[in-house]
Amino acid sequence: MQVLKSKTLVSDAAAAPRAARRATVARPSVKVQAAPRLPPDTPKDREGVVGREWLGTILSRFGPVKDKAQNTTTLEFEKPLLELDKRIKEVRKVAEENGVDVSASIAELEGRAKQLRKETYSRLTPVQRLQVARHPNRPTCLDIILNITDKFVELHGDRAGLDDPAIVCGIGSINGTPFMMIGHQKGRNTKENIRRNFGMPQPNGYRKALRFMRHADKFGLPIITFVDTPGAYAGKTAEELGQGEAIAVNLREMFGLRVPIISVVIGEGGSGGALAIGCANRNLIMENAVYYVASPEACAAILWKSRSAAGEATEALRITSAELVKFGVMDHIVPEPLGGAHSDPIAAFPMIKESILNVYSEYAVMSEEEIKLDRYAKFRKLGQFQEFVVKGGDWRTALAERAATAGTTTKTGAWAATEAEARYIEQLVDADEKWEKLMAEGAEWLNKPVQPPGLGRTGIMDVAVSMVEARRRKQQQAGQVHKSAPAPASSNGTVVNAAA
Amino acid sequence: MVPQAKPVVGRVPGRSGAPCVVAAGEANGSPIVTGPISVNPSMSPALDPVAAAASPAEAGKSAKAVDRSKGLWTRCDKCGTILYIKHLKEHHHICFGCNYHLKMSSMERINHLIDAGTWRPLDETLSPVDPLEFSDLKLYTDRIKEAQEKTGLQDGVRTGTGLLHGIPVALGVMDFTYMGGSMGSVVGEKLTRLIEYATQEGMPVIIVCTSGGARMQEGIFSLMQMAKISAALHVHQNCANLLYIAILTSPTTGGVTASFGMLGDVIIAEPQAIIGFAGRRVIEQTLQEQLPDDFQTAEYLLEHGLLDLVVPRSFLKGALYEIIDFYRAAPYKKRGMIPFGVQHGTFLTTEEKVRRRWAQWSRGGNGNSKDLAVAGDSSAVSYRELVSSYRTLVAGDAASSGSSRGAAAPLDLQELLADPEALPSAMELAKQSKIEWMARTEELLAAQQDKMQYVFRMK
Repeated sequence: MQVLKSKTLVSDAAAAPRAARRATVARPSVKVQAAPRLPPDTPKDREGVVGREWLGTILSRFGPVKDKAQNTTTLEFEKPLLELDKRIKEVRKVAEENGVDVSASIAELEGRAKQLRKETYSRLTPVQRLQVARHPNRPTCLDIILNITDKFVELHGDRAGLDDPAIVCGIGSINGTPFMMIGHQKGRNTKENIRRNFGMPQPNGYRKALRFMRHADKFGLPIITFVDTPGAYAGKTAEELGQGEAIAVNLREMFGLRVPIISVVIGEGGSGGALAIGCANRNLIMENAVYYVASPEACAAILWKSRSAAGEATEALRITSAELVKFGVMDHIVPEPLGGAHSDPIAAFPMIKESILNVYSEYAVMSEEEIKLDRYAKFRKLGQFQEFVVKGGDWRTALAERAATAGTTTKTGAWAATEAEARYIEQLVDADEKWEKLMAEGAEWLNKPVQPPGLGRTGIMDVAVSMVEARRRKQQQAGQVHKSAPAPASSNGTVVNAAA
Repeated sequence: MVPQAKPVVGRVPGRSGAPCVVAAGEANGSPIVTGPISVNPSMSPALDPVAAAASPAEAGKSAKAVDRSKGLWTRCDKCGTILYIKHLKEHHHICFGCNYHLKMSSMERINHLIDAGTWRPLDETLSPVDPLEFSDLKLYTDRIKEAQEKTGLQDGVRTGTGLLHGIPVALGVMDFTYMGGSMGSVVGEKLTRLIEYATQEGMPVIIVCTSGGARMQEGIFSLMQMAKISAALHVHQNCANLLYIAILTSPTTGGVTASFGMLGDVIIAEPQAIIGFAGRRVIEQTLQEQLPDDFQTAEYLLEHGLLDLVVPRSFLKGALYEIIDFYRAAPYKKRGMIPFGVQHGTFLTTEEKVRRRWAQWSRGGNGNSKDLAVAGDSSAVSYRELVSSYRTLVAGDAASSGSSRGAAAPLDLQELLADPEALPSAMELAKQSKIEWMARTEELLAAQQDKMQYVFRMK
């Protein structure tokens, strides 16, 4: 009420000069309707459309695909299934025309089709899985988002001059909990694919993703990312805008976010372009999705020196979901309906939603520090190496030999497998001590950070040392008073007489 | 990616553009170079492995990487001038004819950047394994063996600490001779440990990058190393407010450019270095258009705002010193924080270190002897002993009957320093009891706000 009052006062005071001004301004008698302003990415042929029709053109982008002519692709290994399905249809049609009761044979055929489908899809080779992951009818990021969220709004722009259609960002709520959704978007037909650049983002796309991740960090929205890209776009402008730098900054900044990040690989995960939005607390991968460090074609061209070895490369690179979970790189597999997600997308969506919510529920109770540590630890443990000096990489033999030897000790008694190793260890520790002296001399150049209590020293040592100190203080006092010989030293470091 | 693809207009991969001519007769003569100076080094046949593999006949001579450690002379990659190896080493492997920076091995780079006698290598015992059981035209295990024998390194990076004109730095240098500098699990682990160590000690990190990309034989693990190193850099740069300088040398491509190569607070490149993300040929095939000659060179990236500096090799060490000096003297320098504990594991040396410290502690006294603590064999005296000896000396403990000075009166250090006769003997005494080190350590400890440092450091 106060506000309204003050408003009227203001308007009254200003009314007189405004009225005076109004009289003097010349106005055209005809009211010109301002042209409706269309969004900048409206296709050119729609410029004449206004009003409700315009709304329809915008929303059609989210609707089913118009031209379905040649749209369903069948992969090679799916052809027998297609034959069976056609047979069933034919039989049904014939039965309808002739009025014959064929329910028995139809049931038998359907049973056989189901059996064949189960057999095929449970024994997919890596090459077949790659084909399924790249299937043109596979549900895209937007398909999934729009089907698992209650509400979703897509947001745009990297606030630095460009937007990237290959990455989709927005806020959506699943069962009432809002999430920041970020994902690579492929197209559903050729025209859409060209618009979306086949899901290959440019640096502005990664910067857009980073902006939204920081936005989510600021407001406390958990992040879900959908990975589906052949890789980052390799182009002249992309290089000039800093493709490498954009990916690197994303990798670094994602480890500083205080909200949980859940990443779902829904199609193919191509190398750095996928990892730039895939540094997550949990990595989920769909059953038939793949994740690779280099596409099998590129790998074949470089290592096998010919593109025709792509099949071998696919097998060798171990890109399927089961192998990735075995390696510890991915955490969970999201099961797909029988026949792959492309054959029954409606059934795939609840599986994805369920997996995401299950994983998120673990993070809903964690603190920010725990979440950051969880993400750091997840990536810190990845990598396979060994810590011996092994010439020729033959680590199995070296390990066996090492376990078998009796070994020697260094001067102070530390175990080493061989004499040479003992000398080496001593050398290393001498070098370390020398280095610590050098570092102490150069102390003005150092800026040692505050360390968490557990890092670098264990709690038990704090207790032990304080007890030793107390004992010494007491001994000193006793020494001062009695001027007697010092108490005998204990042979080990533990405090013998704690109660003294 | 078919090697026999139709040639891109104006440039055939595998051949330099109008070649620089140094005729055989002029080999010993003038260093004047005829021919274009701005030839893109990436077109040099020595750096073009795919084309070289495709046409073995013509590129046989220059296809193999020239082994510069043996032999008396070599050719410059760019202008073809004959270069004597001895002279090359003196001039930091820079061609005197065209100032092209030839490749240096990692040990040579370390000698160039680190003061003599102060290099301490870390994690030399990490070696690669074969997680995917990969074999392309050769078994991966065989490739590892070959590369280890050829270079003497366990994997493609040398990490360690040293003094750079007196500054303690953590330095990592990648080596192109080991499988083309490819980044695998070992490279990732070594660099991550280096960065974590530097974060803990408060040192700046310098990484000299040179790489052909991620190691495909290790598959997805190579990719994850990018994330691992970037995570360590996040803690180092953002949480602990410490400096990281990336030095990009030729060639730096692929996964390294897309992770730690481009994350430096200051990014320095060498002149004419090839730095990029995607390969030049891949971009040409994607776009079907001609790329400029100097595409993906350091100067090109400098123009497009992706680098801070292009520094020739002869100035590099001095430039690094000056840059780090700015950061040392920053007026509002803030002490950072390590946000979460990544406990360092028990490595090869931990047991030895623990035993040594224990031996010293038990030998040096548990505070039972009232004498000035005399340092044992090891140069690292325990804190406890230092405190007790310092207090004994300064406070003039009446019960210190074993003191060689014999005076029961409290010692006035200012008086002592002014006294010319007593000073030498006092200095002698001080050396025995390491008091000057105590004073320095005291300063260091006072500068730190946390509690006492303990003898046992699990590192």
